[in-house]
Amino acid sequence: MARDLAIDLGTANTLVYMKGRGIVLNEPSVIALNRQTGEVLATGREAWQMIGRTPGYIVAVRPLRGGAITDFEITERMIRLLLQRVGVSRFTRPKVVICVPSAITEVERRAVTDAARRAGAADANLIEQPMAAAIGADLPIDEPVGNMVIDIGGGTSETAVISLGGIVALEAVRVGSFDIDAAIQNYVRREHGIAIGERTAEEIKVAIGSADPTHDENQAEVRGRDLMTGLPKTVILTPEEVRSAIEDVVSSIVSSVIRCLSKAPPELSQDFLVRGMYLVGGGGLLRGLAERIERETEVPVRMSNVPLEAVVLGAGHVIEHYEALKGMFMGARR
Amino acid sequence: MIVAVVVVAIVVVAVIVGLILRGRTSADGVDSFRRQIDALSPEARRPTVDQVKNVERPADDDDEGS
Repeated sequence: MARDLAIDLGTANTLVYMKGRGIVLNEPSVIALNRQTGEVLATGREAWQMIGRTPGYIVAVRPLRGGAITDFEITERMIRLLLQRVGVSRFTRPKVVICVPSAITEVERRAVTDAARRAGAADANLIEQPMAAAIGADLPIDEPVGNMVIDIGGGTSETAVISLGGIVALEAVRVGSFDIDAAIQNYVRREHGIAIGERTAEEIKVAIGSADPTHDENQAEVRGRDLMTGLPKTVILTPEEVRSAIEDVVSSIVSSVIRCLSKAPPELSQDFLVRGMYLVGGGGLLRGLAERIERETEVPVRMSNVPLEAVVLGAGHVIEHYEALKGMFMGARR
Repeated sequence: MIVAVVVVAIVVVAVIVGLILRGRTSADGVDSFRRQIDALSPEARRPTVDQVKNVERPADDDDEGS
């Protein structure tokens, strides 16, 4: 008998929670394929290490962008391989709950559930990421009080107000930490005339990226390919430069939080001043982001204890209490 | 006459069944909402949230969103 699964199918990472066992898989959402034969060469961490470093016949791709499936066939193969790795076979078909961005379209919804069913799930249901995040972050969403959760992922940023187990207000933008990486890449190309890969851009973000000035700021040496000469070149990047490069993305995230706050009923709004807002998702780890949101909204921002795992833990809780919580699936209450 | 009695009986039975089902639906609604809220309580969530101890994070990309 298969153990039921919860999957956080993220743009950056895929996490799998197995009923009764906890989190059993946490890997980058990347798959490496042989371009000529279509054969899968690697998935997860192994494939992630190949990004931008492959010979011509290998392609390492992220099949999800902005929280949506961009390549249905590759996503299905990736899910199938991930499920195989956690013990799913054609004879053991589990029920699966998948976390998805709340703003996905009906077509995208069907694409995700179809991919999971074809990959070996007996039944596939979807749950909104902010709802799962609020459950996983241990917020008191069973009470009639305002709980606000900001989930900043690789491709989407979602803010939700939750009370009594339901979403009261929601705001989502298809902007996330990958857009921050892309903004850094574009800035370095435009201002310093060198080309860098997405992994290097990510390393710059982790090393010196910030949304607000911080007290421990250092410069970073960046190595790339000179666009004029084609030769390797090193430049120095300052935290101020990176902040200005990513300002548009950060502003867009902060604006969506403000829009969500303005949608919340007044009775719940007053709760935020006391209880604060909770930041989850890998993008929320950007230095100074919590402070920036707090400064612009005048509402305290707290980091979840489990920012990277909150979503899958929330979905895992739903799979543990499937019968009681099946009313929370997307489509069940509409 | 017999036909009229049968029709009236069917109508009465249908109304009674309808009322019973309606009562049951609202009771089911209350029960399922109660079950959902209970399942979302911090006590019910504790075992799941505690399982994060088993988490194995990727070494190189732990700033990435999911």
